[in-house]
Amino acid sequence: MLSDPHSPALAMQGIGKQFPGVVALADVDLTLTGGQVHALIGENGAGKSTLIKILAGVYQKDSGSIRIGGVEAELRTPRDALRLGIKVVFQEIALIPEFTVAENIFLERHPVNRIGSIAWGKLRADAKALFDRLGFAVDPGARARDLPISTQQMVEIARALAHEARIVVMDEPTSSLTPKEVALLFTVIRRLKSLGIAVVYVSHKLDEIFEIADTVTVLRDGRHISTKPVAAHTQDSLIQDMIGRRIEFLFPRARGPARSDVLLSVRGLSTKDKLRDVSFEVRAGEVFGFFGLLGAGRTELAKAIVGFDPIRSGEIAIGGQPLRPHDTRTGVALGIGLLTEDRKTEGLMLEQSVQHNMSLAALGGFAVAGFVQEARERSAVQGFVDRLRVRTPGLDRPIRDLSGGNQQKVLLSRWLLRGLKVIVVDEPTRGIDVGAKSEIFALIDRLAGEGHAVVMMTSEMPELLGLSDRIAVMANGRITATMPRADATQEGLLSAAIA
Amino acid sequence: MASSSQIQPQPGAGRIAAAMAGQPQAVLIVLLLLLCGAISLAAAQFYSLANIIAILRQSALVLIVAAGMTTLLIGGEVDLSVGASLAFTGCVAMDATNRSGSVPVGALAALAFAGAVGLFNGLVVTRLRVNSLIATIATMMILQGGVYLYTREAVQNQHHLAAFTGIGAGYLGAFPIPVLLAAAVFAAVYIALRHTLFGRYTYALGANPIAARLSGLRVRRLKLAGFVITGLLVGVTGLILCSLMNAGQPTAGRGFELTVIAAVILGGTSLAGGRGSLIGTLLGVLVLKVIDNGIIILRWNQDFQMVVPGVVIVAATWLDTVRVRRRAV
Amino acid sequence: MPQSRNLLRVLTRRSEGPLLLCLLAVIGFFALASDTFLSVRNITNVLGQASLAMMAGIGVAIVFISGEVDVSCGSLLAAVAIPLIVVMNATNSLALGIAAALALGGVVGVVNGFLAAYLRINSLIVTLGTLFVLRGGVYLYTGQTAIPDDAGLESFFQLGNGRLAGVLPYPAVAALVLLLVFAYVMGHRPFGRHVFAAGGNPDVARLAGYDVPRIKFAGFVVSALLATCAGIMLASRLGSAVHVAGLGFEFQVVAAVVLGGVSLSGGVGSLFGMALGVLILSFLANGLGMLDLATEWQLVVTGAIIIAAVSFDEFKRRQKL
Repeated sequence: MLSDPHSPALAMQGIGKQFPGVVALADVDLTLTGGQVHALIGENGAGKSTLIKILAGVYQKDSGSIRIGGVEAELRTPRDALRLGIKVVFQEIALIPEFTVAENIFLERHPVNRIGSIAWGKLRADAKALFDRLGFAVDPGARARDLPISTQQMVEIARALAHEARIVVMDEPTSSLTPKEVALLFTVIRRLKSLGIAVVYVSHKLDEIFEIADTVTVLRDGRHISTKPVAAHTQDSLIQDMIGRRIEFLFPRARGPARSDVLLSVRGLSTKDKLRDVSFEVRAGEVFGFFGLLGAGRTELAKAIVGFDPIRSGEIAIGGQPLRPHDTRTGVALGIGLLTEDRKTEGLMLEQSVQHNMSLAALGGFAVAGFVQEARERSAVQGFVDRLRVRTPGLDRPIRDLSGGNQQKVLLSRWLLRGLKVIVVDEPTRGIDVGAKSEIFALIDRLAGEGHAVVMMTSEMPELLGLSDRIAVMANGRITATMPRADATQEGLLSAAIA
Repeated sequence: MASSSQIQPQPGAGRIAAAMAGQPQAVLIVLLLLLCGAISLAAAQFYSLANIIAILRQSALVLIVAAGMTTLLIGGEVDLSVGASLAFTGCVAMDATNRSGSVPVGALAALAFAGAVGLFNGLVVTRLRVNSLIATIATMMILQGGVYLYTREAVQNQHHLAAFTGIGAGYLGAFPIPVLLAAAVFAAVYIALRHTLFGRYTYALGANPIAARLSGLRVRRLKLAGFVITGLLVGVTGLILCSLMNAGQPTAGRGFELTVIAAVILGGTSLAGGRGSLIGTLLGVLVLKVIDNGIIILRWNQDFQMVVPGVVIVAATWLDTVRVRRRAV
Repeated sequence: MPQSRNLLRVLTRRSEGPLLLCLLAVIGFFALASDTFLSVRNITNVLGQASLAMMAGIGVAIVFISGEVDVSCGSLLAAVAIPLIVVMNATNSLALGIAAALALGGVVGVVNGFLAAYLRINSLIVTLGTLFVLRGGVYLYTGQTAIPDDAGLESFFQLGNGRLAGVLPYPAVAALVLLLVFAYVMGHRPFGRHVFAAGGNPDVARLAGYDVPRIKFAGFVVSALLATCAGIMLASRLGSAVHVAGLGFEFQVVAAVVLGGVSLSGGVGSLFGMALGVLILSFLANGLGMLDLATEWQLVVTGAIIIAAVSFDEFKRRQKL
């Protein structure tokens, strides 16, 4: 391709993208220079992932222009992006589980011999050579599905280097890596720089950014806030740009101290594949937070304690009653429910109305001889819509028309309507814009204040520090530390999570 | 924040499809009227009482099973064994009536047999966790083979009970009995789907099985119920069919499952589960049966009766796909 | 790099081992139960009978691996015989007849693939629709009778009835060759690996720059062409285009493919597993016939085996999780 060596490696200008009900990006600029690491930061929902998905050809921009090496580029499919030398390493592992590591490395282009057969020997040797060069100790013949998540992530990163990419985008690459692997990753990134490759580094870990990045662009609410050399920033100024307001304002705490009665007690819980000997107690009026890296076992714990996933050993008691038999029906009857991490696939019935979504768990209470008393159901649902200030054009509207924050309120109400006392929330603010976030926080605070026990799984440290009474840290399916909030620091949590 | 999405105008066929997909029932009504109008212009006997009754009776057979199939599809499952079960049930019903000389015994045998087939399907799907498509194809094979092991040729009517013939050919007042049975089944399933816990839970199960389980629903029992209900309704239909043919035909019901599924999907029930309505199914059945009838009274080659549902089912699913895609972004 | 250790691992992992044992058990059982079962004549006959399902099964397995479903092969079997016989009767040329059959098969594959892969209509429905339309079309064209082969070409007769070296039926030879070719393609050509990737995780495949719809489209076309080959062999055996040929054939093929360990959800499966599935069901049918059991038992046993095989797979999968 003809390109001007003096023009930036990539220039995105005035990028806009809308989804139904949400402006994901408005007039965002991003300019990359070869041999530089450009950090892209912002809170969840700030628009980082939308921007890199546009860069990867997964989403189409609605407006704006993209120039690569000074040449106008159209990125309609991932293939276009790859052809133009853009390689994106997504946070979600993008390996074919049934294929070997080596084949996954060369997924984009299998090496072939003269007659067009895949040259397995070369493929394996090339993968081995690549790993040796990078200092990765991974068996290229291993099946991807058999590897731990952190290794899979390293394989993902290695994949970016197997191709002649000129722009490498890494989306939260360290989210499940150990410190040793992070050091290795940074060595790799410096090598990329020396090769003149432009690197986009998406993260919300500020210390990493100060270590590796040359330039920082901050997004907030889908808008471009600032682009500065990293040297021009302090931790505080970065946070100021990201959040745009002070943390205390985001986490208003109105509730009093926790009460003494234990609502949830978990003793020696183990599952077949992940959890090992997990024990904790949560009291009425308490928010008990769980922190951990990707794959630490938080979601597994959440699904096990509500009776969704089977357990191997251990004792779960809700309000003093053992969760036996171990199923969700008993769980709901005893008063524990889960607000899942993935709203769309595990929580919502997207095509169905707000009313039907909210009343699902409580419907039996509105029925007489198997017939649903719809008037009673409706007035109860209306009560929660008013109480939680759910913004909806009507109870009969499909829930897919609501914003993420309002959908989350409806799902929370599903449990409140049923009268549950213990609510487990897994990543409660994923995919919710900042304004709605503080509303959800206030709601969780209020629920605890009204005597509910809340178990909160999150990877957002500010959320955890702002809302919890006590914090447990998980690593490899175990609880490695439990501390009151007052004793918790970001560094302390992280070191326990890596243990 | 809940602003509605901007819908881009789509060109040509896509736009018509989108419009149709948005209002499947209105479209079906218009289609039905157009069909009736066109056929009656070409063949005046279309509106004769005898012909209308013939259409209704044919529709009744399909509708009874389609009511069960609608419930199953809404819950996210499917049953392809209904055709084979229909034939077997007819043979069982006639045989049992012959042996006992009693119509109630024959009817009970039909219901028990078809209900047991439904139970078997349900257990294989819920307990052995076999994909319902594969499981019911397997059941279909077992039944198709089994019916020949049971009887080599048609089970003839040896009891000559008038009441038995009445099930299929009789009237209550001005209405054929099968039509009344279908109306009763329709009303019961309609109410069950719209106003009972069973119906609401079935929609929830199809729309989001994980959410349903997390909410404490008895997912397995619910699915099992769907299969058993479908089985029992096959029993009713098998009885009627056997009465109409005055014999238990092991070859009856070939391709019946596809007609039923075509009608249900044409009526706007989604293959993906969680969405659909019994009114739509009724309209779907009527459209297919009016087309069938038109082919007969216009003296077209009856083999078109195989081609038309094939085309209709693909077109109907396409509309469903367009609708789902337009909503999901 | 087929090192022997790897080969062994591959065998055990892909559950072809148990299938092989199962096949040997079936053969062993009937060898003991019937004197004539284990004769060369009978074995080669079974291979000949199995070859049709094997050819069509290759295509169906490829479509399954790509994450879609194809159940149209039963009617296609009957449909392609019509242009074959009609053209042959008119021109006295086997080559032109085969070309006509392949043309029809290709068109059906293109239609299936277009509707399922590009318009993204559920492929089960699409191919069920094709199944109906083709069968209805055959009935319409033939008026529900068979169209006899009037050309009487020896080459056409030999195609389905001849034997290589007087032993192995040509259809079995053809099926074996096609099996090896497509096993090579699926295992060692980029296209085959793309099919696995597209079925295993379409999002990843897309991110890797694959044109997923085109891969699936190609699967449908290949599948229809292979079913056409089976249809040509069948027409030669029957000596005519029979309107009821292949009724229920699609279910036998799907049964064999599923029994062979090809996952309905895509991305998993091997053609050798599929072939073993076909052979198990064929030997079972043949053996049951030799024991003077009604042929209908085949259907019953096949149905039961499918349920057992799939629930066993499901059970194993859950154990692993």
